[in-house]
Order: sequence, then structure tokens, then C-alpha cells
Amino acid sequence: MEDSVLKLKDFNAFFGENKVLKNINLDIEERKVWTILGPSGCGKTTLIRCINRMHEMTPGAHTSGQIFLKEKDIFGINPVLLRRKIGMVFQRPNPFPTMSIAHNVLAGYSLNGIKLSKNERNEIVETSLKDAALWDEVKDKLSQKGTFLSGGQQQRLCIARTLAMKPEVLLLDEATSALDPVSTAKIEELIFQLKNQYTILMVTHNMQQAARVSDKTAFLFLGELIEYNDTKEIFTNPRHKKTQDYITGRFG
Amino acid sequence: MKNSDKEMQLLKEEIYKMWELVLSQLEKAKQAFMNNDVDLALEIITLERRVNAFELKVDSNCENYIALFSPVAIDLRLVLSAQKIGIFLERIGDLAAGVARHITDRDKSRMDEQLKEGLDLENLFDTLLHMLSDCFVQFRTESTHAYRKILAKEEIVNAIYEKSFLRTADYLKANPEEIPYGLKAILLIHRLERIGDYCSNIVEETVFYVKAKVLKHKGKTE
Amino acid sequence: MADPQIKWRKIKNDLFKGLVVFLSLLATLPLLLILFYILRQGFSSINWSFLTNLPKPVGESGGGISNAIVGTLIIVGTAAVMAIPLGVLAGIYLNEQRNSKVARYCDLAIDVLQGIPSIVIGIIIYEWVVRTMGGFSAFSGSAALALMMLPFIAKTTQETLKLVPNHLKEASLALGVPYYKTVLKVIVPAGLSGILSGAILGIARVIGETAPLLFTAFGNPFMSTELSKPMSSLPLVIFNYATSPYEDWHQLAWGASLILILIVLTLNMITKFIESRWKIQF
Repeated sequence: MEDSVLKLKDFNAFFGENKVLKNINLDIEERKVWTILGPSGCGKTTLIRCINRMHEMTPGAHTSGQIFLKEKDIFGINPVLLRRKIGMVFQRPNPFPTMSIAHNVLAGYSLNGIKLSKNERNEIVETSLKDAALWDEVKDKLSQKGTFLSGGQQQRLCIARTLAMKPEVLLLDEATSALDPVSTAKIEELIFQLKNQYTILMVTHNMQQAARVSDKTAFLFLGELIEYNDTKEIFTNPRHKKTQDYITGRFG
Repeated sequence: MKNSDKEMQLLKEEIYKMWELVLSQLEKAKQAFMNNDVDLALEIITLERRVNAFELKVDSNCENYIALFSPVAIDLRLVLSAQKIGIFLERIGDLAAGVARHITDRDKSRMDEQLKEGLDLENLFDTLLHMLSDCFVQFRTESTHAYRKILAKEEIVNAIYEKSFLRTADYLKANPEEIPYGLKAILLIHRLERIGDYCSNIVEETVFYVKAKVLKHKGKTE
Repeated sequence: MADPQIKWRKIKNDLFKGLVVFLSLLATLPLLLILFYILRQGFSSINWSFLTNLPKPVGESGGGISNAIVGTLIIVGTAAVMAIPLGVLAGIYLNEQRNSKVARYCDLAIDVLQGIPSIVIGIIIYEWVVRTMGGFSAFSGSAALALMMLPFIAKTTQETLKLVPNHLKEASLALGVPYYKTVLKVIVPAGLSGILSGAILGIARVIGETAPLLFTAFGNPFMSTELSKPMSSLPLVIFNYATSPYEDWHQLAWGASLILILIVLTLNMITKFIESRWKIQF
């Protein structure tokens, strides 16, 4: 496909001897929201952790096959640089506890020792927080610690921190599973807005969430990519029986 | 606006368009019948396909909405009633096309003016049009304050329908050579009466959507 | 509502609670007694000249322990400078490489080192440092104390960093921050209060050590600030004066004990303050 941002080709991932992803082939288009769906332990999180090369941080973990970011093999890019292009938001909100809200947003720059002028800093803080739909709630307390925010706000702060690095792809690893329904709805809305600027790949256990926010859904089962299609198709007319069993809750 | 709200809006707009189309079909059916306008009747028959297409569209929209957004409460009722209203509208469209076919019938397309008057058909058409358009307003504005009035109009339809047998019989006694046509005329009247029924069903669905009140099979204590 | 069973249960509850409170208070009793006794004995000997004068020969009144106070600060300070960076780095390593064989070996070694009696450390340093340097010196005392602080600081650093959640490290790595910067700028700052208080507690622990100093710093009746020469220190002064046959030297020993205890108490208070003030919510 011409406009694919991410392309996985014959991709396998391992933990030691254990093969957790088996021969994955996937094309992810620009400015779409993709959801990876599947039961626990099917390799969803591993898959997105491979894409920003966090997987290989785990002792004993390795991969085979290729992943391309805009035609470039990510395994030929320095992981440190790659991770600035592929942002990731985690399951649990993890703002840096030693930093203020503003410093959290700028963490990607300050921790990397990238110098910014005061104007640039203010600009990045404001646009990132606005993009993460958090600006109005925190603009008067930017110097407070990020950990004083509510869980949902913290998670949006983490999204802002990731957006501040202007990534090409955004990975969300069950980004709402630790949040209450209202915060979840806000983040879902945010994902919908962010689609205009970013390619988003998210992992979730929450089928309804996948249905609500994603354009495309991929179903992963025991490390195999069973099927992927438009979300509407997956949820009304899945091709594969396993997909149907999973989304209808008739598993096992 | 939330994504689910947008999809809901699209779903509603689809059913509005369908409703408008069916209303215009019924309006055209009246015009064609009253003026014996064969061209207009042919147009109705052609447009019938669009009504059918709308029904499929509304159906799949409803299916997708349920699959993707798992609606509850008023959203759920809207989707459920929209799907049924889609079916009813499609049937009304069918029946309007049936009226049009009656006109394009080669054997005899013109109804005797005397019979037409006697059967009070213009009144019948108008009543049906009122029911359908009033109900459309109720659905769009999510209000139900006039639903009793609309349902009461079905009485007019029924009264005309019940009288029509005697009137037709009288007419046929006077004009025995018209008996084949007369039977068709009864069929026509029956079609129109069915439209009235569907209009009532739509009113019931609208009330269910807005107020969660089930009117079906109630209050019909003859 | 006076169900007899519930009433009995309540009584049992209260009895148990009372017992626990009583035992806890009992545990603090020795401390209170020690403080009280030392205060009573030492308070009278503390005055300005006690803090600023040098010791006087037997029979002359008004001798002080200024050389011991300065000596303690220098010896322990030097020990801290040696032990804290090493201990903190070792602690970081132990925490970061939990699964590596080398780290497990280090961990064990540190545990064992912590268990070595202070007198043994003293004699080892005597053998290694004092004899090779050709004489008693403050530096050798510092080395002995540093050796005692090292495992403690490494352990507290490790324990503190263990509590820093892994997701902070992941957050930093996912922002494209290199590993070493992640450790230095995210993980260590998050555990800073724990590391600091560990270091201070480490100092508080060794400040009263006498045994290793006997063979190393040795003691010195005069003011000395040279690391290569013998130097006095509070525990040494206490040891020497208390074991002497003279009554007014006993008095000085009580005074020095009080000063030592006050320093230890202050260090403990500082730790508590740091812990409560810089506590980081994860």
C-alpha cells in the first residue's frame, strides 16, 4: 500500500524460546486509528512494544522479520531516535513525580538535553496540552506537580508529553484501562480528534472502545493475526469464527 | 460533538430523507390518482427503488450503530424505532407504488368521477398525508404532544374505508359493466387503509422512542 | 444491643490493644532511660569551654574536647565522601541489573560485608592501610568507617530504587531518552529522598563506632586536621576517658557521650525531615 506509515512484514517476536508473535503482516495507513484486539496474553502489548522497540529491553526478548516506518526498517534506526518518532502512552498514567505539569510536557526535551528558548517552551507546553484537551483544566497551575492531577488528567498529561515530541505514530497501550468512565470518554474523544494529525495504534481489552473509536480493527489470538478489517465489518460481520467468538464473548 | 453523536446524527438524517421521499411519493400518488396523471404514476414507480435502497441503508446504519456504540436508553430506543420506522416507510412506499400501478393499469385507468367523489378519496389521501407529515414533525422534534390527535385521524380513515364497500356496491349495482374495475377499486381502498395502519405504527414507534411508552395493541378496544 | 458475645469480643479487643501499646512503650523505655541518664551525667560538664578547649592534663580543670569534635567531623566526613558515591552507584547497579549473575554476587558480597564485625574491619584496615602508610592516621580511620558505611548505603539505595515504579523508567525510555540519562535524571531523582536519608543514617551509624578507630585514627590529645596524622574523635575520647582512673575524666566522657548522642539524634531528625518533606508520590 502506498500510504502506509507502518508496515510489518513476516514479523515474529520471542521471549526466550517462547514465540509470542507469529508471522504478522500488517499495513497501517496514515491518519487512521487502528485497534489491536484480543484476549489476554495474545501478544497485543508485545506487538506495540516491538514497534517502538521497547520489547527488546526485556531480558531474553528478541524479534525476527521487519517493521517499516515510512519505508525505513526500524531495526536500522537508533532506538532512542525511533522512540521520539513513535510515541507511547502506557496503561497506567506515569507522569514524572519530580516534575511540574509544564516540565512533564517538556520532559522529552529536557531529559534529552535539548535546549529550548523560553518562547519555544511556552509554545510547546500550550499546544501540547491543548492537543491533549487538558489546557483549560491546568493552565493556571502549570507549576504544580503532575501527580496532583486526577488519573484521567494524568493520562492526558502523558499524552501531551508524548505529543510534545511531535511523533509520527502514537501507540496507546490500554491507555484507559485504569481510568473511570468519564475520563475514558474524554480520552476516547481525544483519540478521535488526534486522528486528524497522527496515526494511532491502540491496544485494548475493551471491545466497545475499539468499536467506538477505531477505523480499523485487528484481531490477535495466541500470537497470530487472525483477521483485520474495517471496524464496522469486524463488529457486524467478522470473517473468522474465532473473531466472532471473541467479540460475542463466547470464548473458551 | 462526540463521535457517537455524529453517527447518530447521520442515522437520523438518513431516516429524515427517507421519510421525506416517502411523503413525496404519497403526495405524488394522490396527485396522479386525482388527475389521472400516468406520467407521474410512472415516476412514482421508478422512485420506488430509491425507497427500497433507503430501507437497506437505514437497516445497516442501525446495525452498525448498535454494533459499534452499544447504545442504551433513548439512543437504543431511537435505533430500534428507526429500524422499524424504516420498514413501515418502505411498506408505505410500496403501497404508494401500488396506487401508481393502479393508475398505469392498461385496462382502465380512470376512476369514474362519481365513484371518486362517493368514496371520499381525496379526503382519504389528505388524511394519510397529514398523519405521515405530522408524525414526521413529532419524530424530528422529539415531542409527542400531538400523538393522540394523529392517532385519532385513523378513525377518519377507517370510517371512509368502511363506507367504501357499500358505496362501491351501490355504484356497481348501477353500473354492472364496471364490476372488474370495482373489485380493483376495493383493492385500492384497502391499500390506502393499510397506509393508515402503518402511519399509526409509526406514531407508536415515535412515542416509544421519545417517551419509552408502548402503545402497541393498547387502546384498540372497539 | 448488649449481646454478651459481642461484649466479650470488645473486651478481648481492648485487652489486646492495651497489651500492644504497653509493649511498644516498654520498648522505648531503654532509650528514655539512656537519654535521661546521659543528660543528667553529662549536662553539667557541657559549657562553652568544654566545646572549644583542648583536653588538659589530669588535675587541671576546664579541659575540653574541641579536638575530638573536629576530628569526628573530619574522619566521618572523609568516610562519607568515600563511601556515599560508591555506595549509591553500587545500589543503582544492584537495582538496575537485578537479574544478572554479577549483581546477585555483589548483593551477597554486600550483605556479608555488612555483617563483618567492626573490630575485624579495624584490624584489616590496620593491616592494609596503617602498616603500609607507616603509622596511625585519620585517613585510615575514615577508610575503616567508609568500609562500614558502604554496604549500608548500597543497600538503602537499592531498596529505595526498588520502590521507584518501573513505569517511570518506561515513560522516559519511550520518550527517546537514553538509558543512562533515564537512570540519572528520572530514576535517581525519584528516589533521591530515600538515598539521601540512607546516606545520613549511614553516617549516624558509624559516627559512634569505636573499635575500628582504635587501630587506625588512634586518637590525639592535640588539635589535628591532617588526614595523614593520628586524630582524635568522640568515641575514642569517650573510650579513653571512661577507662581512665580519674573522676574528672569520667565527667568529660559523659559530656562527650552527650554530644555524640545529640549529633546522632540530630542526624536522625534530619532524615525524618527529608523523608517527610521530599516524599515523592508515585
